Amino acid sequence: MEGSDNAEQGGSDQSDSQRRRQLARLDREEAFYQFVNNLSEEDYRLMRDNNLLGNPGEITEEELLTRLQQVKDGGQRAAGTTPSASASPSPSASAGTSDSGSSDERRPEAAELEDGAEPPNGDTLLDWLNTVRRTGNTTRSGHRGNQSWRAVSRTNPSSGDFRFSLEININRSLAEQETQTEAAVAEQATDVATAPAPAPPAPAEEPSTTEAAEEVPAQEVPAEAPPEAMELEEEPVVEELAVIVEPDLSPPVTRPASPQPLQVPVPVPMSVPVPMSVSVPVPIPIAIPSPPLQAAPVVVEPPQTRRGVVRPRSRSPEQRRTRACTARSRSPHALDRMDGLPPAPPIPDGLPPLPPPPPPPHMEGSSRTRQHIPTRHVTVETIDPQAFLATTYSPEPPPAPAQEEEPAGGEAGAGRRPPTIRLDLQVRRVRPGEYRQRDSIASRTRSRSQPASNTSSSSVSSSSGSSSSSSSTSSSSSSSGGAGSGSAPGSGSGAAGHNTFLYETEQGGFRRTFSRSERAGVRTYISTIRIPIRRISDAGLGEATSVALQSMIRHILTGFGELSYFMDSDSDSSDSPRASGPAEPSDAALAAGAVSASGGQAQAGGSGGAPQTDERDRDVDGADLPTGTAAAGVVDGSGRTRGPISLEETGSLPFLRLAHFFLLNDDDEDQPRGLTKEQIDNLSTRNFGESDALKTCSVCITEYAQGHKLRKLPCSHEYHVHCIDRWLSENSTCPICRRAVLATTNRESVV
Amino acid sequence: MQRNSRLKRELQMLSTEPPPGISCWQSGDQMDDFRAQIVGGANTPYEGGVFGLEIKIPERYPFEPPKMRFLTPIYHPNIDNAGRICLDALKLPPKGAWRPSLNISTVLTSIQLLMAEPNPDDPLMADISSEFKYNKQVYLEKARNWTEKHAIQKNDGQVKAAEKAPDLFSKDSSRKREPLKEQQSQQSKKPCL
Repeated sequence: MEGSDNAEQGGSDQSDSQRRRQLARLDREEAFYQFVNNLSEEDYRLMRDNNLLGNPGEITEEELLTRLQQVKDGGQRAAGTTPSASASPSPSASAGTSDSGSSDERRPEAAELEDGAEPPNGDTLLDWLNTVRRTGNTTRSGHRGNQSWRAVSRTNPSSGDFRFSLEININRSLAEQETQTEAAVAEQATDVATAPAPAPPAPAEEPSTTEAAEEVPAQEVPAEAPPEAMELEEEPVVEELAVIVEPDLSPPVTRPASPQPLQVPVPVPMSVPVPMSVSVPVPIPIAIPSPPLQAAPVVVEPPQTRRGVVRPRSRSPEQRRTRACTARSRSPHALDRMDGLPPAPPIPDGLPPLPPPPPPPHMEGSSRTRQHIPTRHVTVETIDPQAFLATTYSPEPPPAPAQEEEPAGGEAGAGRRPPTIRLDLQVRRVRPGEYRQRDSIASRTRSRSQPASNTSSSSVSSSSGSSSSSSSTSSSSSSSGGAGSGSAPGSGSGAAGHNTFLYETEQGGFRRTFSRSERAGVRTYISTIRIPIRRISDAGLGEATSVALQSMIRHILTGFGELSYFMDSDSDSSDSPRASGPAEPSDAALAAGAVSASGGQAQAGGSGGAPQTDERDRDVDGADLPTGTAAAGVVDGSGRTRGPISLEETGSLPFLRLAHFFLLNDDDEDQPRGLTKEQIDNLSTRNFGESDALKTCSVCITEYAQGHKLRKLPCSHEYHVHCIDRWLSENSTCPICRRAVLATTNRESVV
Repeated sequence: MQRNSRLKRELQMLSTEPPPGISCWQSGDQMDDFRAQIVGGANTPYEGGVFGLEIKIPERYPFEPPKMRFLTPIYHPNIDNAGRICLDALKLPPKGAWRPSLNISTVLTSIQLLMAEPNPDDPLMADISSEFKYNKQVYLEKARNWTEKHAIQKNDGQVKAAEKAPDLFSKDSSRKREPLKEQQSQQSKKPCL
């Protein structure tokens, strides 16, 4: 019966060779199992988290060994660079973070790409993203031409938060480029240091508590609900997405002046971001308002004037590194500062946010034009002071130790900083409790540049999911009288002009803020998009995600589009808020042309609390976007057509493929949330012994053999470790009895 | 991941011990494209018919369910005109009940069962469903007609032969597929709810 499966193929030659192939495959499979079973707990996790295991039978043992070795090397390197990392040596953490630039080779695909020119197409990126999704923390960087990019992803194992960021540096010269890369690596290292490794599977730790959540993106979680709260609420409702675009033009004079947008989610009592944070910085050449020096292909209005001023950059990697540190540490500072500020009046959860007044058209359109600046200033007053404070911080930054370092670090000395485009994406899950209120897509942009004398303190705090802060802002903006409120913190910053423009639509599910600060040619664009996931009450976890992701990506694209398209796109998007009366917020959201209709609708539905089928999304997905261009098209198309995006430039850029990535992977996202790695690791394992009755893993339909490593679920069903781990990473029930694995693990998360 | 090796094993099992009334084989060279046939159960309006199905194995199988649809037209509350099947085992949780411990064979068996016992409470075809509920005779009549028209081979004794040598039938059913496909494309999607 051997050949029965080939019955259709007939030819004896064929079946012969096939049989041989099968045999070889079987051998490899056997070797695979042996390999996996011989791995130590740590090694296994390491490989799994980095997605290096591949398919049984498709990879030779040698290959696996090599990979493992590479991973280990990478991990060590990372650990070596960052002393603090070694303190918390969780394998996945070090492995993940270390996976940058130079250490890239360990991932095969990466290596390939690395060899050739940097992936001009987004494929690598896609691959990488795919990996990231499963592995958690990763960083990649590379460069192409005079652009270098760095992508970092961070997943919070215990919380559902997911961060992803892209950073693109446009280097002025090749020489610089090198430094850049190095710097990137260094930064990376710092990342490890600053950000505690993903919670180690230590039994004592509480995986699902805020603690864990805070770990990774220290900056974003501080305000989160207390652990107890988190534990109580189980289902993440909202995903937040923050996109930061930081084209930063080298400050003509001192570095400190350049805006370093920090993303500081304001303390959000309400936001109960749940488990999962992945941050993936992916530097991509995008048509973004990268202050296009010669390098930037972007259509953005370039501060041409600046060019002359450009100075050779003399920054050493080390300096860079410090900077990274500071940047990171800053967030806490910002928070502290905020604390110092009069606390914004807590807004009751139940309180429906006021419908934001339609922003005056000119504002949006003007985001890039100077003429409009004055307008914004005018509006500033209308903003609720507290809200404002929450989002922007006072001009005189109390020099935090870390911050001080920075100036000293030599940034100050360094004249030039290559333009950087940074995309920061955070996905957070919020608990159902806030459902109603936040079932809206909010996107905000804030930018600020501050010329602090010696500390470059430009921190942007994007409203974190906190309902309180966000609502307060929104309400304030609404009160401002139907205009997007542009705020120029004239008083505070003094020298620095802040032009923050934001318009938000509450309830409608779509809120966005767009701000721009332009100062001495330094511009920062920061956009934070909050996308609450609509929750289908009974449907369980899975459904909302896809929508959220989808709209998220659209938002991102939109955001970028806006940035690069200036007024056209801006005004375009502005339409929606304007159109939407307070009463029909969701419609407004839909109307927000910039955002894809489907996304908007889904959101709207969510806000309404009406469960929607994913059909629509599916359909949208149906149109596969084979190319970046296509992706862009879809994104736009789903909503309304926007001004022509210069696809020639953007199309080939990896960035657009992100959309592709997200859309294509929608199905995955549709699935119910699986367990976190930590939760999975907490399940017991054992080795199959001879004495055991003959059993078969029902996932791979392979009989257990001596030495196979099995994982036993609370329901007593056993599977191969690698089989069940994969299933559990996306699902939470036992494949055989369908009993929830989580029920036990989640509550008493600790062993 | 384990897709290919698992599929091989499944095929082996399907060929060695196929569930009664069910046959399944690889379509051409493709490791991800299968064909199956289900023989209409006795005492059902589908009795005597042989129903062809198309099975597509997704990349992530077995972590994702196989995609199955009827190629032979069938009059059934849970199967639409395009042959799509509303069956929980064909969908991922939380909506569905797919899990990696299921396999092609078990899913085909489920479909067989579904044919024998439609689930009018989760209809794909609302009209057929209400017919099934409130006017069963009409439903039975129509279902039989459809079976007669689309699923029963003209030759005498074919039915028996079908059980023994399903391969003989694949040709016939493939002939029927053509018109059906055109028809399918025109069908509007209906939610399986």
